[in-house]
Amino acid sequence: MEAILIDCVQNSLRHFLYRNAIFMCERLYAEFPSETNSQLLAGCYLQNNQAYSAYHILKGTQMAQSRYLFAISCFQMDLLNEAEAALCPANEPSAEVPNGAAGHYLLGLIYRYTDRSKSAVHHFKQALSLDPLLWTAYEELCILGAAEEATSVFDESAILCVQKQHLHHGLAYENMQASGEDHNLVSGRNFGSEDVCPRQLKHMNTNNLRDIPGNYHGAVASGGAASQPLNGGSANIFYNTPSPMATQFSGAAPPPICKNIQPNAGVLGVEGSPRSTVNSTIQAPRRKFVDEGKLRKISGRLFSDSGPRRSTRLAGEAGANSNSSINTVAGNGASHSSKYLGSSKLSSATFRSVTVRKGQSWASENFEEGIRHEVYDDSRSNVTTSCSSSSADIRSLEQEGATMPTAGVVTSSSRVLSGASDIVALLRTLGEGYRLSCMYRCQDALDVYLKLPHKHYNTGWVLSQVGKAYFELVDYLEADRAFGLAHLASPYSLEGMDIYSTVLYHLKEDMKLSYLAQELISTDRLAPQSWCAMGNCYSLQKDHETALKNFQRAVQLNSKFAYAHTLCGHEYVALEDFENGIRSYQSALRIDARHYNAWYGLGMIYLRQEKFEFSEHHFLVAFQINPRSSVIMSYLGTAFHALKRSEEALEMMEKAILADKKNPLPMYQKANILVGMENFDEALEVLEELKEYAPHESSVYALMGKIYKRHNMYDKAMLHFGLALDLKPPATDVATIKVIGLFPLIHHCFTQIFHSSTFILTSRSFINSRFVKFQSLGAYFSVIN
Amino acid sequence: MAESSEGEEEAKLTGGNQHLVVDDDLREMAKKAAWSVSSCKPGNGVLSLRDDNLDTYWQSDGAQPHLVNIQFQKKVKLQLVVLYVDFKLDESYTPSKISIRAGDGFHNLKEIKTVELVKPTGWVYISLSGNDPRETFVNTFMLQIAVLSNHLNGRDTHVRQIKVYGPRPNPIPHQPFHFTSREFITYSTVR
Repeated sequence: MEAILIDCVQNSLRHFLYRNAIFMCERLYAEFPSETNSQLLAGCYLQNNQAYSAYHILKGTQMAQSRYLFAISCFQMDLLNEAEAALCPANEPSAEVPNGAAGHYLLGLIYRYTDRSKSAVHHFKQALSLDPLLWTAYEELCILGAAEEATSVFDESAILCVQKQHLHHGLAYENMQASGEDHNLVSGRNFGSEDVCPRQLKHMNTNNLRDIPGNYHGAVASGGAASQPLNGGSANIFYNTPSPMATQFSGAAPPPICKNIQPNAGVLGVEGSPRSTVNSTIQAPRRKFVDEGKLRKISGRLFSDSGPRRSTRLAGEAGANSNSSINTVAGNGASHSSKYLGSSKLSSATFRSVTVRKGQSWASENFEEGIRHEVYDDSRSNVTTSCSSSSADIRSLEQEGATMPTAGVVTSSSRVLSGASDIVALLRTLGEGYRLSCMYRCQDALDVYLKLPHKHYNTGWVLSQVGKAYFELVDYLEADRAFGLAHLASPYSLEGMDIYSTVLYHLKEDMKLSYLAQELISTDRLAPQSWCAMGNCYSLQKDHETALKNFQRAVQLNSKFAYAHTLCGHEYVALEDFENGIRSYQSALRIDARHYNAWYGLGMIYLRQEKFEFSEHHFLVAFQINPRSSVIMSYLGTAFHALKRSEEALEMMEKAILADKKNPLPMYQKANILVGMENFDEALEVLEELKEYAPHESSVYALMGKIYKRHNMYDKAMLHFGLALDLKPPATDVATIKVIGLFPLIHHCFTQIFHSSTFILTSRSFINSRFVKFQSLGAYFSVIN
Repeated sequence: MAESSEGEEEAKLTGGNQHLVVDDDLREMAKKAAWSVSSCKPGNGVLSLRDDNLDTYWQSDGAQPHLVNIQFQKKVKLQLVVLYVDFKLDESYTPSKISIRAGDGFHNLKEIKTVELVKPTGWVYISLSGNDPRETFVNTFMLQIAVLSNHLNGRDTHVRQIKVYGPRPNPIPHQPFHFTSREFITYSTVR
């Protein structure tokens, strides 16, 4: 009964029928309350987003897999302390982290969110070394600023590691694949080995039992994950579904399979002789099979895949030979798997569980030939002609962590080799690009991304990384283009769309921005990026309260989304609520200490509050994180100037001017500083230059007018003030300019030339028409006269 | 001496706008201010002046002049006061003479503007600026809007909404002037 229930649960999971799975699993657990079953139940809950349920059932469990699942539930419920305790029990400092790379990755995340970046970095690096295809671990390292160069991470040893893992997996996988088509063949082949099976199974059984604890028993995961032979996905490990499968092997499946196989007995011919070598254990081809065409190719080549390892183990467990593997496979979610598995299973007396055993003889053979057997147990390696016998050591495999069967068919060891090196090469490029953009060396990052092949470049993720790089370079037009393409390429993907909305905000494209926001909300109302876009839309229209509400919603949806906190901070500042602004920026920094926008925001608040030392400190940190941003440099310079360190201020401005030729601000600030230092001539020079560059900027003329007035060059001053006013500055500036500039000038003019009536008249009309009301002039006349 | 006709004149304002249209460089200032009224009828209190609902109104309940007091936490620059009044709906309750006073508190309010409304129907804009550019804004702790008399000699008054506007602060701190051109604005902040 247990096996049937397990099978049923697996099946439901594979078909994403979570409620059924949960119900049946609860019956299973009630009937056979074993820890492995509780793991299966927890897995079902986790798939159905009920982390709290999984938390309750797994509380206090000790098996490695249970501890891992428990940690996942705690993490999802934000109970980081408990998650950490589960993975790394305080009283057993030397206990091994369950699930290898996945466990290290989860531990790394926990440390990151509890502010222990050094330990986090350590664990991410461990995870990567165990499984070089764990991309998100590398991503996290980049975000923490501690990533090594991609070439040293994704290098030869990584390739070897991947190959080892996948060659083993490949066998079983191939089997599966082949099975579809070689259904017959397989059966035939296996026919002979059938009798071997039980023995093997038993053997596997024992092995499996040993190994199971370390495995992820989430059949659940396998159900879900089985359908995705993910490469290098981070959560891959989660989805390894080794053991639970094992548990399901009870007699249920075998019979049908046998039947299946029987008729096909003679047909086989494929690969070789049933190598029933003895200890070959079955390995259940685990992953989903893709299509028959591929299967055809594979025929004859049985590669054990990581999947198979699981399945084999599982198979072994249950003692039902092919059945089990078939079950396992089925559990794995490959849709066609069951029948394939069945056949392949049979064919497999030869199937081998994949266990990556470092450097065993698997390499020996002709994969082409056919069935490979792998010895499940170290001690036996069957080397039949076509099989490589690598003793699989599940434990070692597990330690390596990733058992991601490669998607697709790895049909030969050479293909595995080239496949592995291709994958690692791809990851190398992507990793280098990502690392450079996290270090804000955006131009370099862009160059690296351009090296990608077109089919990868034109995907949503890469294009939005490119967009981000342009955004950091303050090249908003290019960023707009890149993000637009990214959105076209994957309209359902929201990653990076928050930055896109900021780009549109900077470009003041309110139509595009509101369209984007609407689209994102309709795609996913529960994603923080959609609400960030909506908030940016309102902020552009200066409706800061509504914008703030939207950003707060984004924060509620995902409190670990640093950018939403920063945007909240910006809105608080616009509303002049500095307390809350500081709080928001600090929350953002707690999540991501390298989020230079938040450092900048804090610096701006302190600048406004005239706390210049604080402001300088914060701008300095922002500058250290992103040393190429000319905007940060110019604010740092402003802070220096406010602290009366004008020399340093000027230096910083020079740097800023050099860093980005298109940024007019540093020049303006430089002129300001020079005016503050009473170095008016140089200031005027700078402003003249700036005038060429930005002829429509009212503040430039206003500042020039001020300088001319100081020098008593009233004509020029008047001219410039007039120009400044023509450019329609806001009312405050108009008032300021008129007050500081005009009246004293007029007064001076009149006193100087009061007897030249024509001049007065012309001046009066000139002034009248442009600046002041006749009445006020009258007041002046009365004063003068 | 040339005639100096600067002074507070009474302005006559007729009509009223259906839509509230305000310059982009102005923003509503009185959200964080303390509002109070000299008297009110229960159910038609000061909240109705700020609820963005033109159907609810404040109704006074005492002797003239009826006062609306707006007190800020710090000195603010104000430029424009906008009232929504409707002669067609309120007839004898519609204010006709309004005086605006400013100062540090109740003890030193000084009148800065007086307007006379003639059958207004909608938003009425009352600018606080003087003629002098130095008087574009009124820099004050407190603003008081006094309804001195109503149409048709009504005793009590109805006012449906009041908004007070001032200039936006410079988004870039420590800058003497605002930036107007696109290039400057784009490079002036990190978002």
